Amino acid sequence: MTIRLKTMAVLAGLSLLLTPLLAPTRNPVVARAAAAESPTTAKVLRIGAIPDQKPEKLNRLYPLVAAELSRQLGVTVKYVPVVDYTAAVSAFRTGDLDLVWFGGLTGVQARLQKPGSRVLAQRDIDVAFHSIFIANTGSGIRPFSQQKDLAQLKGKRFSFGSESSTSGRLMPQYFLAQAGVKLSDFAGGAPGFSGSHDATIALVQSGAYDAGVVNEQVWRTSLHDGKANRAKVVAIWKSPGYQDYHWIAQGDLDQRFGKGFTLKLQNAILSWRPSDPQQKQILGLFGAQQFTAADAAAYAKIEHVGRQIGKIR
Amino acid sequence: MRPAPPLLVLLPALMLVPLLLALPGLLHGGGWELIVEFAAAALTPSLDPLVLRSLLSGLAVTVAMALLGWGTSLFAGLLLGLASSRTLWRTLLGHEFPAQLIRRLLALPRAIHELLWGLLLLQVLGLQPAVAVLAIAIPYGALVARVVSDLLDALPTANLEALRAGGAPAPAALLTALGPPLLPGVLSYGGYRLECALRSATLLGVFGLGGLGTELKLTLQSLEFHELWSGLWLLAVMVLLESVVGLLRRRWAMPRRLALHQPGVGRRGREMVLALAALLPLMALVGQASGVDLQALTRWQPLPGLGSDHWQEVLDLPWLQLVGGTLLLTALAAGLAVGLAPLQLLLTAPWPWARRLVGFSWMLARLWPPPLTLLLLLFVFRPSLFTAALALGLHNLGILGRLLREGLQDQDPSAQQALLAAGSGPRLALLYGGMSGVARSYLAYGAYRSDVMLRETVVVGLAGAVGLGSQMLESLSSFAWDQLAALVLVYALLTLAGEDLSDRLRRRLLATA
Repeated sequence: MTIRLKTMAVLAGLSLLLTPLLAPTRNPVVARAAAAESPTTAKVLRIGAIPDQKPEKLNRLYPLVAAELSRQLGVTVKYVPVVDYTAAVSAFRTGDLDLVWFGGLTGVQARLQKPGSRVLAQRDIDVAFHSIFIANTGSGIRPFSQQKDLAQLKGKRFSFGSESSTSGRLMPQYFLAQAGVKLSDFAGGAPGFSGSHDATIALVQSGAYDAGVVNEQVWRTSLHDGKANRAKVVAIWKSPGYQDYHWIAQGDLDQRFGKGFTLKLQNAILSWRPSDPQQKQILGLFGAQQFTAADAAAYAKIEHVGRQIGKIR
Repeated sequence: MRPAPPLLVLLPALMLVPLLLALPGLLHGGGWELIVEFAAAALTPSLDPLVLRSLLSGLAVTVAMALLGWGTSLFAGLLLGLASSRTLWRTLLGHEFPAQLIRRLLALPRAIHELLWGLLLLQVLGLQPAVAVLAIAIPYGALVARVVSDLLDALPTANLEALRAGGAPAPAALLTALGPPLLPGVLSYGGYRLECALRSATLLGVFGLGGLGTELKLTLQSLEFHELWSGLWLLAVMVLLESVVGLLRRRWAMPRRLALHQPGVGRRGREMVLALAALLPLMALVGQASGVDLQALTRWQPLPGLGSDHWQEVLDLPWLQLVGGTLLLTALAAGLAVGLAPLQLLLTAPWPWARRLVGFSWMLARLWPPPLTLLLLLFVFRPSLFTAALALGLHNLGILGRLLREGLQDQDPSAQQALLAAGSGPRLALLYGGMSGVARSYLAYGAYRSDVMLRETVVVGLAGAVGLGSQMLESLSSFAWDQLAALVLVYALLTLAGEDLSDRLRRRLLATA
């Protein structure tokens, strides 16, 4: 063996030794897989949410929710982040998530794909949720009160949120269609899809898009935080109300976590009140006073519109 | 009429004309503020330890996925490549038809982009680290198989025939005659695939399969430019990889991708084999560390039911527009990538600093996943086919540019020096002395790259209404499996036709060299 070959062999050995250092430590996907494998941690309740807002906000909110549920239910609760709406639905169907905060449309998609799953709760504001159409102040679009004035948006650069967002795409597209605006009427022949409500606000404010549509709660929060600059972006129209976000749980939680677990879980969520400091923080981030029981039948309208637009089949 | 070689290099640049004509009209300039903010953040990336830690762990995931996917594809590709070699079957059985059959079968996995594999596998396997690995391994394995079998079948068979005539048994004769000359080509291509795998793993992340790509997408989407730049600078680790692969290639005397003929059998064979052997345990360790669970691949989730009466809707999709858009997008992006690189080198020929700047811009373009470039472009351009082509073209410009520069550096400099000494300007000397020599092999590689770009059009689909890619993402979010199946099929047919076309073009270009 030549010296060089020996050096090479030593280097190969060293590289083998050092490989474990490459190991990702905090990868959620990996952690989830590991949890599923180990029998002692099999009873982990994995919660998720559609990523409708900035990741930093989701990362602040859902670990709080996980901690609170864990305290109330006495099981380990883990928050698993996902990057888009479709992935949240898929992860629920494949059984990678046990309890998910879905939007109206994604919730219906998830329930249709996973029969037996249960609608647990919605926020007080979700009974009559609204979309807010917003516009850049330099775009020349002025606020209006008649739905038919949405026709002004023809020929403008327009952005929805996520493709599967209820308040940022589905219902707005429905209201636009009622006013005679087709998706191909926007500048460039198609609307943009910013991915989330926060992104829509930032893009419209910057002027990258003339107008967009976001959910009312995120819009109010942005105005309140000063993230939305009223000199640059304004609300132009508020949509009629419709049902939106809700918690959906897998149908087999009772078998996995013990009899009556689903009910306990539902009651835990419904019990959150602003009087408890921890729960107040959670409710504040959700933009709600409290959660109320929700009924799957209430989402029939969403399902109907979803089928019309082709997002549900 | 046959254009002179120097003209040949400049010909694809003609495609820049429609792009340059269209882009000013698409400029809305609304988001200049954001672009300025983005550029300014380059020098002040976030150094928050929390951000850095999450980016670093993202990088580790991406590197692990890339390494595992690449390693698997290399081993699978080698075996499948041998199985689809005509020479091999002819020597063993006397027939070529099994090779043809396997070749045809491998065309389908090759025709579908790794992103599509990733998104489809995600639907049936769930959120598993193994999904990203498999998504890279399937198309890459089929690509490696094709290259291996092409290399094998292109080797001169005189040695093999001599050994066979001398009475050597077929397997031994094959190994002795074809093994050593095959190795350098395979390793050279394998090294290049590792770079591709890292790019793919990042891209898969952008679409939600975890790692650095996911972090980049989320930070860009929430317009956190300082954090975005921390991630982008981390991507520079790929430059390190490129130089390591380059170093090994020189050390083992392996051919460059732009080289026309292969020089001999390479050096230090034992080192090569040792390095290859170290790969398996390395992969096993990385796999274990990143939680890749092979058993998870057996747990298939059923797809949700499919209505039976939706086929009319599938037929009603605007197929002509979708296919036309995809082809136009490919042509524009290919013209931009193939045409701009020589032009940039020529323009900057007199100034070394400008040339370094161009090289740096190529590096950035290579590193950034095209969907991110597109999101940035949308701040100032209207969403359109041209905008998408710009994003796709710029990314490939980075890849082709580096190749052209390497090809020029490897060339015998005497012609260029002679022209310079005779008093011609640096630009003319480069065009006539340098580029005319590499013109054909560069264009041949460009033809291959255009085929890759056709496959890649899916990654810029989010620009809205651009070809099959955007329709595919829309169908996926509607869980419309029938539409998706039809779209994937059309896409595969299109890329197979494109592959055939680019092969013919490449053979013609190289044959007349």
